[in-house]
Amino acid sequence: MLSFLRRSYLNFSFMNPHYCCLSRNFSAALPPLLPVQLPSRMETHLWYVVPDEVKSAPLLSKYMELLPQYERDHVLGFRGDQLQKSALLARTLVRTTIARYQVDDHLDPRSLRFKRNIHGKPEVEWETKDGFCPPPLQFNISHTSSLVACGVTMNSLIGIDVEEKRRRTKNNILAFAKRYFTAHEVEHLNAIPDSELQQQEFIKLWTLKEAYVKALGKGFSSSPFNTFTIRASSGIAVETLDSPQNLTNNWQFALLELMGSHYVAICLERQETGGAGKALPIKLTARKTIPFVEDELVSGTNAVVTIGGSVTQF
Amino acid sequence: MAAASASSFIPLKPRPTPRVKLGAPQSFSFRRPALAPARLRISCVAKPETVEKVAKVVKKQLALPAETLVTGDSKFAALGADSLDTVEIVMGLEEEFDISVEEDSAQSIATVQDAADLIEELVRKKCA
Repeated sequence: MLSFLRRSYLNFSFMNPHYCCLSRNFSAALPPLLPVQLPSRMETHLWYVVPDEVKSAPLLSKYMELLPQYERDHVLGFRGDQLQKSALLARTLVRTTIARYQVDDHLDPRSLRFKRNIHGKPEVEWETKDGFCPPPLQFNISHTSSLVACGVTMNSLIGIDVEEKRRRTKNNILAFAKRYFTAHEVEHLNAIPDSELQQQEFIKLWTLKEAYVKALGKGFSSSPFNTFTIRASSGIAVETLDSPQNLTNNWQFALLELMGSHYVAICLERQETGGAGKALPIKLTARKTIPFVEDELVSGTNAVVTIGGSVTQF
Repeated sequence: MAAASASSFIPLKPRPTPRVKLGAPQSFSFRRPALAPARLRISCVAKPETVEKVAKVVKKQLALPAETLVTGDSKFAALGADSLDTVEIVMGLEEEFDISVEEDSAQSIATVQDAADLIEELVRKKCA
């Protein structure tokens, strides 16, 4: 087994002479993934990995082993260590996260298969076996070089987007917004006198718009950014330009500040409402993880601060 | 857990990007004659030059070193472009070539060649 692994890594410039003994230690030491109950219909689970905290080369090799060849090829297609690492962690996070829910007794992250819907949105391809009814598990991933995140729900379509708070656009914000956002959003940004705050508001808007389109799952060309407005005055709502008087009630949003450094936007298909059509808050459980190494429940701590939308963290 | 951890990620070799053959048919663009037409208006640029200009805009947006190898086959995502970068690149290309790219066309751009082909088509329509 080990020699097979060594052969398969000849394509990497991973000619570390210490690899043999490190990997032997590591392969004996890998603990199982901590299993987790599936989210209830009303819950959203957020899992994230901080790439800078994952430094062990043997651990990263182990993650690579979880992937089928075409996903390894995809990871290796990225230019440079940092991009390859966050691509690897994105695939690892989605596979290990779904595997934790123990949907099928012996679910191994390696054995998960994925497919894309007709619009290109990734989905799990569950095995068809007698007596096995696949759960309506929905997920979406997003990553930057400094954060990889995965959102999971039961039933509710979900889109998530993460971005560094300090992300700077190369173009002037208002020029960009005039080109790609709606008039209302341009007006909203234009009204912010402080350029730093304006930049942050832009990033928040961007992540919310991305999350919405990803939740819809129909591809970006079906919902160009200038065809819908995100309104974030009291609560967050989306309004499509073709029906401006009706705020689209099917979708609810959460905007989080993670670790003081990132914005995370979550868009969910609304499942149930409270009395008189009022939306119920999003019930969020957030966990930071290094798969197979450690998991930390962070919702309700200052690592995860709700800055928009109605969210209950637990 | 192994005690001797590498301080940086495994140095995985990037895959070499093959050079695009000039005049090679591309599935997503119309076929071009091998030689440029005799009447050549200044604003209708030749393919290699377009690819070069696109590469320059991409490198600038992604803050890549000037010597980074970016060819027609290079995928924006593989170079590190996320969706915001891609939109900014398209905006940069609109300015560079004085064209307007529809959002659904912009979404179909995955490689430098895709962008160059789209630009050439838009510029050709302008020249015509």
